[in-house]
Amino acid sequence: MVEYISKIQKISKKILQDGKVDIIIGFSSGSLPMASRPSFIKSPEDADKLIFDGNCGINLANYLAGRKEKIGIIAKGCDSRNIAQLIVENKIKREQLFIIGVPCFKMIDKRKISLLFEDEITQVTEVGDKVIVKGKAKEKTFNREDLLQANCITCTHHNPVIYDELAGELIKEPDQKDGYEDVKKIEAMSSDKRWSHFSEMLSACIRCYACRDACPLCYCPTCFVDEAAPQWVGKSADNQIDVKTFHILRAFHCAGRCTDCGACERACPMSIKVREFTRKLNSDAMRHYEWEAGLTTDKRPLLDNFRVNDYQDFIK
Amino acid sequence: MGLQKRKAIYVEYAQAVPLKYAIDADNCIYFQKGKCGACKKLCPAEAIDFEQKEETITINAGAIIFSSGFNPLNPADLDLYQYNDRPNVITSMEMERILSASGPTGGHLVRLSDKKEPKKIAWLQCVGSRDMNRCGNLYCSSVCCMYAIKEAVIAKEHSEEGLDCAIFYMDIRTPGKEFEKFYNNAKEKEGVRFIKSRIHSIEHVVNTDDLKVRYLDEDNNLQGEIFDMIVLSVGMETPKDIVKLSQKLGIELSKGNFCKTSTFNPLETSIEGILVSGAFGGPKDIPQSVVYASGAACAAGEILNSARNTLTKTVEPVPETNVIGERPSIGVFVCKCGSNIAGVVDVSKVVEYAAKLPFVDYAAENIYSCSQDNQDGMAQLIKEKGLNRVVVAACTPKTHEPLFQETLISAGLNKYLFEMANIRNHNSWVHKDSPELATLKAMDLVRMAVEKISIAKPLSEAELEVNQNAMIIGGGVAGISAALGLANQGYDTYLIEKSGELGGEAKKIFKSANNENIQKELLSLIEAAQNNNKLHIRLNSSIVNVEGFVGNFKTVIASDNKEESIEHGVSVIATGGTALKPTEYLYGEDKRIITSLDLDKKFINNDNSLKGLKSAVFIQCVGSREPNRPYCSGVCCTHSITNALELKKINPDMNIFILYRDIRTYGEKEYLYHQAREAGIIFIRYLASDKPNIKIENGKISVTVQDTSLNQYLEMEADLVTLASAIVANKDQKLAKFFKIQVNEDGFYIEKHAKLGPCEFATDGVFLCGLAHYPKPIDESIAHGKGAAAKALTLLAKKKIRTSGTIADVEPLKCSSCGVCVSICPYSAPSFIPDDARFFAGKAQINPVLCKGCGLCVASCRSGALRLKGFDNDQIFAQINAAFEEAA
Amino acid sequence: MSDWEPKILAFLCNWCSYGAADLAGVSRMQYPPNFRIIRIPCTGRMSPKFILSAFKQGVDGIWVSG
Repeated sequence: MVEYISKIQKISKKILQDGKVDIIIGFSSGSLPMASRPSFIKSPEDADKLIFDGNCGINLANYLAGRKEKIGIIAKGCDSRNIAQLIVENKIKREQLFIIGVPCFKMIDKRKISLLFEDEITQVTEVGDKVIVKGKAKEKTFNREDLLQANCITCTHHNPVIYDELAGELIKEPDQKDGYEDVKKIEAMSSDKRWSHFSEMLSACIRCYACRDACPLCYCPTCFVDEAAPQWVGKSADNQIDVKTFHILRAFHCAGRCTDCGACERACPMSIKVREFTRKLNSDAMRHYEWEAGLTTDKRPLLDNFRVNDYQDFIK
Repeated sequence: MGLQKRKAIYVEYAQAVPLKYAIDADNCIYFQKGKCGACKKLCPAEAIDFEQKEETITINAGAIIFSSGFNPLNPADLDLYQYNDRPNVITSMEMERILSASGPTGGHLVRLSDKKEPKKIAWLQCVGSRDMNRCGNLYCSSVCCMYAIKEAVIAKEHSEEGLDCAIFYMDIRTPGKEFEKFYNNAKEKEGVRFIKSRIHSIEHVVNTDDLKVRYLDEDNNLQGEIFDMIVLSVGMETPKDIVKLSQKLGIELSKGNFCKTSTFNPLETSIEGILVSGAFGGPKDIPQSVVYASGAACAAGEILNSARNTLTKTVEPVPETNVIGERPSIGVFVCKCGSNIAGVVDVSKVVEYAAKLPFVDYAAENIYSCSQDNQDGMAQLIKEKGLNRVVVAACTPKTHEPLFQETLISAGLNKYLFEMANIRNHNSWVHKDSPELATLKAMDLVRMAVEKISIAKPLSEAELEVNQNAMIIGGGVAGISAALGLANQGYDTYLIEKSGELGGEAKKIFKSANNENIQKELLSLIEAAQNNNKLHIRLNSSIVNVEGFVGNFKTVIASDNKEESIEHGVSVIATGGTALKPTEYLYGEDKRIITSLDLDKKFINNDNSLKGLKSAVFIQCVGSREPNRPYCSGVCCTHSITNALELKKINPDMNIFILYRDIRTYGEKEYLYHQAREAGIIFIRYLASDKPNIKIENGKISVTVQDTSLNQYLEMEADLVTLASAIVANKDQKLAKFFKIQVNEDGFYIEKHAKLGPCEFATDGVFLCGLAHYPKPIDESIAHGKGAAAKALTLLAKKKIRTSGTIADVEPLKCSSCGVCVSICPYSAPSFIPDDARFFAGKAQINPVLCKGCGLCVASCRSGALRLKGFDNDQIFAQINAAFEEAA
Repeated sequence: MSDWEPKILAFLCNWCSYGAADLAGVSRMQYPPNFRIIRIPCTGRMSPKFILSAFKQGVDGIWVSG
């Protein structure tokens, strides 16, 4: 970790000094534990503020769409896939970017720590595969493995797919196994059961759109939920049909493009597992078209293509 | 077809155009007994006319096209098949009806004897084709293998309980585009069984309706297999009256009674001015028929060029009233359609309901809204009442929308301010037992139309000049034919050829299947091109850049280091194909192992070495029908047989072996196959899994092959081995990108529609012919070239193209530049506004000329920046909201 | 509950299925009236938003065909 940080700082300083980039998008420490925050560094001196740890789960690709300057960006596996996706979708140009790739050692879900640690947390330190949490009155050591962000557990792309320089050694990716057990569980439900499952899950939604705002795929000038004519969907959180409509359509807009970076779920203040929708679509994309989003910059997203031999058994 | 009873007044078939009834005089009581006439009394439109008589009409014509088609062979006389005696022996045409959703069983697969679903069906190929002994039709009907495979696959789909399909064949002939893949798929994935055997007899299984097929299997064992049903794959025959008419007119017929044509004039009969298309010129499937039909139209156009536009009339346009900003004022016309609607729906109630709907200022009923006087009345009312929107609740917009739109235009109203409510086809006709619910539904349908049209805006149709020049890319026979087709009709045509001379692959071929000297014919074709002053030939030229779109292309070509920019309205892609250079059978290691074209070269050069040959072996399917090239090259069987016969001419005692997988001498080329066998040429069938083996020892070439009918390995010595190598596409991704056209997995260009659009691309203004489309012999390439020219001409002849009003449109402020629309549009209508544009750089824009209004981009646009005019989101939402207003 | 009939809304492609529904009429095939058709230029025009909107309106089943 420490090596990562010094490498990130070194590279950042150099490319800023050399004028290769105008700005670095990375992380710096937050004012509270486990709140590493996205930072925009413009001068070489400030490069020392850059850090990297298990709390850098926010997808930095989200800050790229439409920017015009030359940018250095810290990219985990998922960030890099979203960067690739943004390049394909004309939101940023490859030439504008200097990508500092970070082979990802999986991110921590701070909610899991909060649930397991009753005291107010004052310090969290990651040491190898352990996480030491200090409170006002006590201290507890956890296995890092037990605290991971849900999407990191099933992730098969920890290494960045595109980068200009690496901040660490590439790591061995886990064997590509069908990691969609969660999706299969929901698929196995009866339609009534599934309906009540989703109804219950979404009943907590307050329509704050944090999931949308955290998602690097959601860059439309006007989101469909904000349009008045036509009014695709009602605005209030009271009408459960409108709430469901919002979540289903948001997921559809991500179909074939989602990298399962987990930004949406991480951002949700109500802890709604919104990834259940996007995961279903990712699983279908994999099952029927062997497609994973953001792995190349030379192919349009899955649903932008049509091939005569596409899977079409669902029509029969 | 006699599968089902019909009434004495009937529609020929459900898709008939025009969809009008006729009286079957043989079964009409009035015609037979002189009494009844009930129909005349009942018909409110007074459409019944018993006095109609056959009339003789004389038409003065400068050219005649014979497209008289074929009859499916009647197997009744072929008693072996027991078609007359056994209800479960049916013809393939009857099978088509049984599988058809609009057929007598509603698409439910049943056999005729007991209406039970069959579990086993056999198809018998070559019934009335390739059969000298029983019916005298030696030719192959070309289409039966493919349709039998198709029927078997569809039957399996239709079967509810699982179905075993077996096809008894002699050779499977699937030389058409994508056909071989379909065949492989049927065999490997769908589990259709293919049994190579001509059956011996059919026996009736006692006490059942089943049938036992007796046949010799490939190991020469007599087999008996029981089937529930037998389908006879009947061939094509020229109708007897057409044979008579041809004889009367002096049109020369072929051995098989098809119209005799030649390789370089495949569309001409023996009489000048009389042309031929379709199956009269030889058995053909749908795409080929379409190609030949277009080609014949082109050939007729060439004859009639001086008479072009001498009989056209123009209509005076009515100025359009500007209704923008006006409050909607809707007129609703509810049609009774005689009793078609009024017999079920309470029309006056619907009118009453309509009158109360928002913005409806006028509502009335008509007996027939489409009648001329009602059209005039409607135009009058629009003007009098100041109506600015019209709804007609009647039949289907698919047939009647243009008619009513004309009425709006004649009243000075924009034609897109019109909407139809389909209360006949989708209501009264299909709910005749629930009149009350049908009336409520009619109200809802009217409401949906009113809500939709009340927020409609007038739409404009852009108009665009069509540049009157044509460009043909590729100077082979297809390209030359296309170029001549256009130049002969007065259009300046640029023929671009990358090599130094015209003629393409045909330059390498010796003789046609009809024994014609190709080089002599080719020379006169090239001379015709060179002597045509409208045809501008550019040799040694390549395409550097293409800009523009239908009607307005600008192409830069480079010839001998000079660049030239040519503006043209249409483009024809005729870039051809080439022979594969084989990588097997020791090709290139011994000069006695050559390709078919190498042998042609020897013939053309009158090569002396051919005279001393004692034995020659031809190996078929070299590079074709292979896993990495899974298509049939179509021409090689005929080519090898032609060449083998030439060798026989040189030395009748030469031992000639043709090693093949299936002999595919489709159509009348079958005569050639017959002739070859008569001449003593030996045909040996091999399997793809056990290809012939070739070795050279002590300077001698020997070929070993497993003969599948003798089931043993044969070894033959060969002085010459000819490899029938595949035709491969001149795959040109750059050109594909320039013209926004697609290439398939095999490298051939993808036409607009496999059946109905073989001469054109989905991209407007770009046309296709020759080997660039798919391997084909010279006659078919020429017909294809002419066909592409005819299609190009329909565009040039318009001089101006009007876009549709119902097309996509971008709201640039909402556009996120993500490029989905650009990527998915099959017609290349969306593009990005250039980066250096003053406004909205990088946002999407729609070319209205290319947009077909399908709405794919609109639905795919996550940002909601695209709208489809005439089918706008708010309009569809309005319809959704109104759909169940009354009949909730 | 036994006489409950679902409300079905169909989005049919102008070029095929809409014509097929016309043909069903020409052939006088009979089907229940609790069924409405919206003509769209191509199923490509179909947006999931239409489906959700129709469900919200109380439609029980949706048929997209083309």
